[in-house]
Amino acid sequence: MPHFSKLVLLFCIFCIGLSSAAAQEKYPSRPIELVIPTPPGGGTDISLRMLAEIVEPILGQRVVVVNKPGGGGTVGMAEVVQARPDGYTIGGLWNAPLTMTPHVLPTPYKNTDYAAVTQVTASPVVMCVKAAFPASDGKGFIEELRKNPGKYTYGNDGVGGTVQLAAERVFTKLGVKARAIPFAGAGETLRAFLGGHVDIYGGSIPPIMPYVKDNSAKCLMVTSAERNASVPQAAGLADLGASDEATVLWRGIIAPRALPADRLAVLQKAFAEAAQSARFKEFMQKRGEEAKGSSSAEFRKLIDSEYDALGKVMAAIGLTKK
Amino acid sequence: MYCVIGCLWGTIVGVLPGLGPLAGLTLLLPITYYLEPTAAIVMLAGIFYGAMYGGSTTSILVRIPGEAASIMTAIDGHEMARKGRAGPALVVAAIGSFIGGTVSVVGLMLFAPPLAQLMLQIGPAAEFGLMLLALVVLCFASGGPALKTFAMVVAGLLVATVGVDMITAHPRFTFGSLHLVNGISFVAMALGMFGVSEILINLEDIAKVKVIKPTLRSLMPRRQDLKDSAPAIGRGTVIGFSFGFIPGISHVISTFVSYAVERKLSRQPETFGTGRIEAVAGPETANNATTGSAMIPLLVLGIPAIPATAILLAALQIHGVQPGPQMLTEHPQMFWGLIASMYIGNLVLLFFNLPLVGLFVNLLRIPYAYLAPSILLVSIIGIYSVSGNALDILIMALSGVVGYVLRKAKFDPAPLLLAVVLGDRLEVSLRRALLISQGDWWALLQGAMSKIFLGAVLLLVLLQSAAWLLGFRRKP
Repeated sequence: MPHFSKLVLLFCIFCIGLSSAAAQEKYPSRPIELVIPTPPGGGTDISLRMLAEIVEPILGQRVVVVNKPGGGGTVGMAEVVQARPDGYTIGGLWNAPLTMTPHVLPTPYKNTDYAAVTQVTASPVVMCVKAAFPASDGKGFIEELRKNPGKYTYGNDGVGGTVQLAAERVFTKLGVKARAIPFAGAGETLRAFLGGHVDIYGGSIPPIMPYVKDNSAKCLMVTSAERNASVPQAAGLADLGASDEATVLWRGIIAPRALPADRLAVLQKAFAEAAQSARFKEFMQKRGEEAKGSSSAEFRKLIDSEYDALGKVMAAIGLTKK
Repeated sequence: MYCVIGCLWGTIVGVLPGLGPLAGLTLLLPITYYLEPTAAIVMLAGIFYGAMYGGSTTSILVRIPGEAASIMTAIDGHEMARKGRAGPALVVAAIGSFIGGTVSVVGLMLFAPPLAQLMLQIGPAAEFGLMLLALVVLCFASGGPALKTFAMVVAGLLVATVGVDMITAHPRFTFGSLHLVNGISFVAMALGMFGVSEILINLEDIAKVKVIKPTLRSLMPRRQDLKDSAPAIGRGTVIGFSFGFIPGISHVISTFVSYAVERKLSRQPETFGTGRIEAVAGPETANNATTGSAMIPLLVLGIPAIPATAILLAALQIHGVQPGPQMLTEHPQMFWGLIASMYIGNLVLLFFNLPLVGLFVNLLRIPYAYLAPSILLVSIIGIYSVSGNALDILIMALSGVVGYVLRKAKFDPAPLLLAVVLGDRLEVSLRRALLISQGDWWALLQGAMSKIFLGAVLLLVLLQSAAWLLGFRRKP
């Protein structure tokens, strides 16, 4: 019997040794799963797949992209929130499932249920009109809309989506009323705008560029505080005295909330470095977007302030949970 | 070269049940980062055509439409296969696809700019008219009694209401499930209603399912087949091309419009649904003819008209090309490369698919006891790999049972499925139009295009009612 108890003791020591070795294990030591909550092929998917590829040599591990579409991004997001907080399952997404959808859909996660890693891209929403529109700068645009409440229609990428909320946030602040017509993305919005079925194009910058170049459209406002280099004539919100109300389309990396701080730091450093790489910057610039790479704290601050501001905007325009 | 790879991959993807052009394109999109831009686009375009070709194969052989555009092909195509005439059906589908595809490229080169302008005229109000017209045509397209078809269409429209309301963002009929927020997966439903229900029906009397031994002679279409299908191919080309530039789901609409036209023009409309070669040739030509014209809004305006071209747009943007009015002057090599790839792609696919017909038909030699489980397995893997959502497999199984019951009761599930596709756009375009007009219903009649579409609806309904009243109705 004494032999047996010695054996047990030995085994216990061995176990403790193993578990402490596991705790000190270098992170990451196996492939990381990056969950993207959209079908493949969209803007978020394309940008983050590119980023995943760039971050692999930095982390020294494979980063496997897994698409989990559904529920406007909330299905995949829920999966990340509920994953084991070991840093091997993380999420890459755009703002809607974090700061917009939770206000209208019964999402199984709250705003505090995940850790913000880093914001990787940003691109403003642009508002453009046909050449015949009676104003040709940002101030005139707002003035014209203010004089004719409810007269003008603007196309956007879906009710409660980035374009509508970014626009309504500014409009509410400036006392402007325009009617939002939801479409299923920038392509449909562009078609309705070119055909004259809506007055204002609201959406990302690249699709409208050919029409700005041939002078059939003019862009008068972007929803970022600063102006944008691709459409220099469009006013930034700072020009309109509403720089606090900026909402842009951004993409970022999140992780389960209980992720240990040292692993969060490893991820933040690697993804921010990848986002700032020349290759990613160039790729994003071609798509009319800006590469970021913020600190976890900055990213968290952005999410929280946007979550609160958009919650108010959505309540004001009647978008709430039933 | 990349075009050939693309076509090959496209055909494979099209043939696998559950994977359509969309899945094929998105799976290969990441690879194109590493290719030279023109090569990348040409390869993706090849996948697009290839999948449109390949989709007909499973429809004909095992009654599994890979995507919405091959539903109509499945109806008569599979009946032909059951009669041991899978060979001619596949050959005619390939020839029709080739002619439709090639003619539409020529059309694209000649008429792209004016057609693009015409497309812009179609706003939400006119789109509503168009969808209504499509629904009415759909009611007449199917072979069964009008009342049963109508019931199926209504059921399809009801299914289409599941998901988030486009205008108020409230979830409808989702029972709190986030998986249903985007609506019921169409591919899963189609696989269930057609593929699974077919297997269930065959299981009833497995001894009856005879293994068809194709001979070389039975592979080739007879002269009469070619004679019968030639006019259908011609009409399918025109229908497909003229519908292609209409945004949204043109590739689907064109197939059942073509089917309806063939049935109306036929001297024996009652034999449609029992394996008529025209009913395979027409729709199959039409859906490939739309591939050319679907490129028009993409290249000329930078607007993706159907989901597959949206992926092509994404690929162009990855390489820093924004299609639009300046594409021809700024990126001529890309523009003409694409056009050239469409010619080559169609040729490659024809030479590819004709020899493969023999191989595919031999699949039917496999005893059904082995074939059926493999079909099920591949379908399940196919759906799951696209959505990564187990609920879709459940939907497929349930639709299979529903489809079985419907077919036992002599209801045709095809109008139901097509109505699901139409219903979504019908509702959204109507509500969009009313939002723009601030609730004024007369706005639906504004604009020349709306008047034409709604006029056609009225005319069709009146003609049909008059025919009923006067007792001219043909015995179904």
